[in-house]
Amino acid sequence: MKKLFFCSSLLFLVLGMVLTSRQTAMASGSSVMDHILAADEPFDNRTIESAHALPVKTVQAKESYQGGTFRVLARKDSITRFRCSVCHTDKVVQVRDGVLFTHGDIEINHGRGNDKLACIECHDEDDRDFLSDAEGKKIDFDHSYQLCGQCHFRPKRDWLGGAHGKRVTYWAGERVVQNCTNCHSPHAPAFATKMPVTYSLPLDE
Amino acid sequence: MTTNPQKGISAFVSDCMRWALSGGIGFKIYLVALLTVIGVGAFAYIKQFQEGLIITGMSDIVSWGLYISNFTFFVGVAAAAVMLIVPAYILKDKDLHEVVIIGECVAVGALIMCLMFITMDMGGPFKVWHMMPIIGLFNWPSSILTWDVLVLNGYLALNSLVPLYILYCNYHNRAPVGWKYKPFVFLSIFWAVSIHMTTAFLYQGLPARPFWNNPLLGPRFLASAFAAGPAVIMMVLIVIKQKTQYPVDIQIFFKLKRIIVVSAIINLLMLFSEIFKEFYTFTHHSLSAQYLFFGLDGHDSLVPWIWTAIGLNILGTLLFSFDPTKCNPRYLMVAAISLFTGIWIEKGFGLIIPGFIPSPMGEVVDYSPTTNEILITLGVLATGILVVTLLIKPALAILIKFKKATA
Amino acid sequence: MNSSTKEEGQMKTKEILETKSSRRAFMKKLSIAAAAGSAGLVTGGCVSLESSEEMGLKWEEYFKKNYRLMTQEEKDETVARLERLFKLQHNENVQISNQEPQENVLFGYAFNISRCKGYMDCVEACVQENNLDRKAKTQYIRIFEMEPGQLDPTSGDGKYHHEVPVENKFYMGVQCYHCENAPCTKACPTKATWREPDGIIVVDYDWCIGCRYCLAACPYWGRRFNWGEPEVAEEEITKKQHYLGNRMRMKGVMEKCTFCIQRTRQGKLPACAEACPTGSRVFGNLLDPNSEIRYVLKHKKVFRFKEELGTDPKFWYFID
Repeated sequence: MKKLFFCSSLLFLVLGMVLTSRQTAMASGSSVMDHILAADEPFDNRTIESAHALPVKTVQAKESYQGGTFRVLARKDSITRFRCSVCHTDKVVQVRDGVLFTHGDIEINHGRGNDKLACIECHDEDDRDFLSDAEGKKIDFDHSYQLCGQCHFRPKRDWLGGAHGKRVTYWAGERVVQNCTNCHSPHAPAFATKMPVTYSLPLDE
Repeated sequence: MTTNPQKGISAFVSDCMRWALSGGIGFKIYLVALLTVIGVGAFAYIKQFQEGLIITGMSDIVSWGLYISNFTFFVGVAAAAVMLIVPAYILKDKDLHEVVIIGECVAVGALIMCLMFITMDMGGPFKVWHMMPIIGLFNWPSSILTWDVLVLNGYLALNSLVPLYILYCNYHNRAPVGWKYKPFVFLSIFWAVSIHMTTAFLYQGLPARPFWNNPLLGPRFLASAFAAGPAVIMMVLIVIKQKTQYPVDIQIFFKLKRIIVVSAIINLLMLFSEIFKEFYTFTHHSLSAQYLFFGLDGHDSLVPWIWTAIGLNILGTLLFSFDPTKCNPRYLMVAAISLFTGIWIEKGFGLIIPGFIPSPMGEVVDYSPTTNEILITLGVLATGILVVTLLIKPALAILIKFKKATA
Repeated sequence: MNSSTKEEGQMKTKEILETKSSRRAFMKKLSIAAAAGSAGLVTGGCVSLESSEEMGLKWEEYFKKNYRLMTQEEKDETVARLERLFKLQHNENVQISNQEPQENVLFGYAFNISRCKGYMDCVEACVQENNLDRKAKTQYIRIFEMEPGQLDPTSGDGKYHHEVPVENKFYMGVQCYHCENAPCTKACPTKATWREPDGIIVVDYDWCIGCRYCLAACPYWGRRFNWGEPEVAEEEITKKQHYLGNRMRMKGVMEKCTFCIQRTRQGKLPACAEACPTGSRVFGNLLDPNSEIRYVLKHKKVFRFKEELGTDPKFWYFID
């Protein structure tokens, strides 16, 4: 009887060891980072056919992304009173609604403390259809990132890489990203304070 | 009771059924009462089945409640049969050999309750075939739950077939053949340990829940089971001694008491060790224990329960350790009920609920079972008691008859 | 209810026996009759109102295999059945896709905790896109308002409801992290939840038995259970669905974030990333060295939540 007892206990021991070793083998896999870093072949995003072209206007960016090209959302169509040169000419313009025509509705809240920016620090003084950077180089409204990036060079670097800003709709297909001014109002670029869209349970009453 | 049984299986079955159901008016009332509770429970379950588990007190934060708490505890009760099997079959203890069958009947009843509690807790009980090996998809050996399914059903089979064989032989006035059932008895000893360790591993293996992820959980499960289980068996034996003419020797109570005392003291020691670990160096992994013992962020629904449980636990242990009455059945009954209830609360509610609180995202909510949930639980408990009763009655009848025949 | 169904079933069998049709048709009709008899058992609801077609479909659905074991043909069949069932029940067309993962794609996510403002547009977009239960207010994403000096969302406030952002506080979103070494898939007794080849942890809702062991095993509270029958107003249902994604769930099964599998497998961003007004959410292919997510991993200091548990999440937090 004792023999039987020892035999069966031995059996259980062996069975237990076999199963435990199997579990350990399962647990000791490599980290996902090893797997990721081992993948150095660029993936052709265009192989995903369902990533269609966007129905909105985009322009080819004048910068490169990972050595290649990318597109940004065009801005000029979204600017309410573009082209600016319709009013901003040498001709005399009749002003009826003063506030509107002198851009009195725009409050500039861009810059540190009381040191707010003036209009012409970004807008071109002579050709109002363009922006201009610190060196006086004209910049198209569609490529405003070139202007923003002269001060906000770190966000711009992140934006080029993809850590700041966001792609539009697709992670695949040709890279199309939001322009700076899609999210940030250039006149008051900080995000507003507002109520959240929804709430989480359990909500404290 | 019967004078001349016919041979054969059909006679065995019909006699067993007759013995199981015969009894005085008190027994009839007892049966009707149990059936009523079962009926109410079944009705409550139909409601839960139609509306979903939403009518329980559970939520995404406390996602297991009363059902799984009771499941965990009764696995322990089932495993405790081994505390009679080991002395009876291995140490060849004559006294305990007389009552080992009762331990096995209690184990069967407890296992049926366990399986029922699991089913009650499931979101899709009709899809349970998905979990069956071969026809479903059995995630073995990866999922501890599949292990638990295997060991619980295996233990149920062992604990019903071995006594069935012995009783069947005794019914026909012959002794069972050793080699036909002894190997299964040995198997069931390991199996009893494994059902409780596996159930502990179910919780112990989850790093997500620091309150459970504790290597002492399994051993402590065993210690508490070997205290609470024999306490249940002792309660059953006291009832048998008083209500039937089956002889229960006083020596049996002495021996059971010794088992209970040793296990209960080990259990308390381990409880103390856990409490020390949680509170000496208070880390954020101790928040669950903080919630259990003292309350957290104004939520303290478990605090009275756990202190009652610890009180009853200590009281039961002391009553068993210092028994001035020398095994007076009434005194033992009080001690057994106190120890059993203490461990029931502590290992059921007190173990499962705090594991979920605070949630992995730090939220603290209280859980309290709904009436419907309690009714279902009572229904399952009544089913278990009914099963144990209906198993023990014919078993005792056969044993008495066999004794008379062999004497 | 049940007895009337049974009668109906018997009557049908009788009719069929009388017509003496071919064996094949007989078997088919018999199965429908059997379905009628037992559908009462399966649904537990008002059987007499359902058409026999619906019951037949439900019957076939009940006996289908785990999604991973299905052949492409069987996948197409079950999708067709589910679309038809939805049409019968809601008189509305949905498209349920069973699109397979792409080669060389492993999805990953990065979350910029210095940009998030706590607006919760992501939470709302997720609820809409994934047909989450409006009655129980199920949400996959939670945003925690964090005091400075902490990086552990468990010490943050997940129940804030006031104007955001609050000065000197920051916001941290949590959801399913799609762990490479996911404890939930290991725990599931029926293999109803698993890691897809593109790294998404999915649930086969029809295979899940609702034991909730995965929920207990998840250290991130990434999984949700349907305690009751989920409710979504018919006009709000997102019609483009995926079998493993946002198709309608039933009571008693687990569900979770699937990185919007119905969108991301088509090359789109998940709904949360698309909705985010601050650009805090970066999503992409981890196996593409030119992807944005790889840029973040390479150039930013990133960390993962509860990394010590060895779950290896594919969700990183970073700071500008």
